[in-house]
Amino acid sequence: MTDDFNALFMQSTSTTSPVIRLANIEKVYQTRTIETVALSQVNLTINRGEFVSVMGPSGCGKSTLLSLMGLLDEPSSGTIEIDGRPVTSYSDKELAGLRNHKIGFVFQSYHLINDLSVLDNVEMPLLYRPSIGSSERRRRAIEALDKVGLTARTKHFPAQLSGGQRQRVAIARALAGEPEIILADEPTGNLDSVMGEEIMELLLGLNREQGTTLVMVTHDEQQALKTQRLIRFFDGRQVA
Amino acid sequence: MLRHLFTLMWNRKRANGLLILEVFMAFVVLFAVGSTGVYLWRNYQAPLGFAYENVWQINLNSGSQPRAEQVATLQRVLAKLRTTPGVEVVSRTEDTTPFSYNGNSGNITTGTGDTQRRTEEADFYSGGPELREVMGVRLVAGRWFDRRDETPTRRPPVVITEATQAELFPDGQSALGKVIHYGFHENQERVVVGISGPYRAGGELSEPRSALFGYISPQDTTTALNTLLVRVQPGTGAALAKRLSDDIRLTSGGRWSSDITTLREQRLSKLKVLLTLPAVLGVVCVFLLVNVALGLFGVLWLNINQRRAELGVRRAMGATGAAISGQVLGEILTLTTFGLVLGLLVAAQFPLLGVFNIKAGVYLTAMLLATLGLYALAAGCAFYPSRLAAGIQPAVALREE
Ligand SMILES: Nc1ncnc2c1ncn2[C@@H]1O[C@H](COP(=O)(O)OP(=O)(O)OP(=O)(O)O)[C@@H](O)[C@H]1O
Ligand SMILES: [Mg+2]
Repeated sequence: MTDDFNALFMQSTSTTSPVIRLANIEKVYQTRTIETVALSQVNLTINRGEFVSVMGPSGCGKSTLLSLMGLLDEPSSGTIEIDGRPVTSYSDKELAGLRNHKIGFVFQSYHLINDLSVLDNVEMPLLYRPSIGSSERRRRAIEALDKVGLTARTKHFPAQLSGGQRQRVAIARALAGEPEIILADEPTGNLDSVMGEEIMELLLGLNREQGTTLVMVTHDEQQALKTQRLIRFFDGRQVA
Repeated sequence: MLRHLFTLMWNRKRANGLLILEVFMAFVVLFAVGSTGVYLWRNYQAPLGFAYENVWQINLNSGSQPRAEQVATLQRVLAKLRTTPGVEVVSRTEDTTPFSYNGNSGNITTGTGDTQRRTEEADFYSGGPELREVMGVRLVAGRWFDRRDETPTRRPPVVITEATQAELFPDGQSALGKVIHYGFHENQERVVVGISGPYRAGGELSEPRSALFGYISPQDTTTALNTLLVRVQPGTGAALAKRLSDDIRLTSGGRWSSDITTLREQRLSKLKVLLTLPAVLGVVCVFLLVNVALGLFGVLWLNINQRRAELGVRRAMGATGAAISGQVLGEILTLTTFGLVLGLLVAAQFPLLGVFNIKAGVYLTAMLLATLGLYALAAGCAFYPSRLAAGIQPAVALREE
């Protein structure tokens, strides 16, 4: 399994090649009574090694966009390509592998597992990599927690943490897998300005030193200005 | 991964406690059914030791005839029956006939003082020289009762079964010629003249155990006056029964009446009685098991539904559907194992304490069966919920809170 994925990921090493491409994306949420068009006519390319920020008013579809890029949900129409290959051509198992190895996702509302300690939560993406032993898993998780400044809270449970601390655990969980792409939904939304600044530096560092591709949703203009490209959304459409 | 599972389950011990209890109860039910089943099945497998087809039991009612005259009448009746066409052999016996509810049992001993050996509870039967032929008892060594025994002696003859011989003489000596004691007349010495195969008058479901046959002399005036066992020719039926009954009345000058049943009927009626309780228990247990299974299924199903968010997050973090269903199955089987261990601890007390005097092997087999049954039950109940879990999409993580 690991060899397959290595082959899959090693194929494109050029720094300007598109890593995620969305073409004519539309996403409609259907509930019993109403139909919400969350995204419409979205055409977007994220290149390898880019740091892109996404802004827009509440409800304009930013989280929806990120969940499509993260292969967590499927578009109603249009195509998503990862490394130049349409997502629909991947098997369920390959998709799981992509989510696991290639993408790190920071949920807007953290989505930690309440019955697992901070450390166990952060270890989770590594749990689905059979090649990584338990001590290596632990080491990497602690390293990731160290980066977000939470090594003192490893044995706590999510319910025992503040909102900002939970947010940092969620970031550490995305970092632990050392993914090529990090998709972060308002990663500093719950942090004070100092802590927000630190996390921003951390992400910029990853982008600079490891060439990690980053897409970050933010409401903070200052942060957005530090990224290489800013995309604005309004009412499900890209406006800039 | 296994450690991760344990951690997760430990952190949820409260919710999992209920499941473990449920599993424990299922095990107890399975163990109870299994023990009864294994016990009866083992008994059923053991040889009966006699042939009941074409054997009739005649119960004689001597009415108001004085006891002193009864022996003479009985001799005449026996002589008449023995010459009746269709009758092969007739034997006097006591009321401990095959498939009856009468029994006579106790310990058999041999030797005295330190060297005395005694059997466990054993069955005592008695019969005349013809009983062996009537019942088709197998003779292993020595001889059955015959004319030689008619001379009164200080040590009446006795025939014991192989099992009795093995119990009294575990070193493999022959019991032939040895003196034994048994029953009420504990001081009465008896000499073993023959070793027979097994004989389980209690029927197929009775527990195999040691047994012996005491001797009823044709001249005996004290016992076995009311019960006869008759082997008839195959194919004879109601006509012969009527004739025998008429013969008995006429030969006794109209004073005796009789009641004839076939051993086949007696066997069936006894089986019915003996199987009623296990059958009722079995049905109750099936209901209980179905209940437990539904409960287990319900709890698992609920469990999965309550954990949709968690499982969605796992999918989002890169777990495959197979990994998720594997996790769910693993959790359930681990819980089952916990409930099972509790159950086994309780069940182990039965063979250890020798409850109901049943052989440990029965309980051990039942424990094994219950264990297998429990895992099958758990896997069965977990199948659908684990499929359900595998089907949870990562997008679920976005919606559930
Ligand atoms: N599961 C869903 N079912 C129905 N409608 C949905 C669902 N998820 C999102 N929506 C709708 O889609 C639209 C876009 O939602 P989305 O969460 O992408 O917005 P957002 O830009 O992330 O907003 P915010 O800044 O508040 O997080 C909203 O109108 C929302 O109500
Ligand atoms: Mg959002």
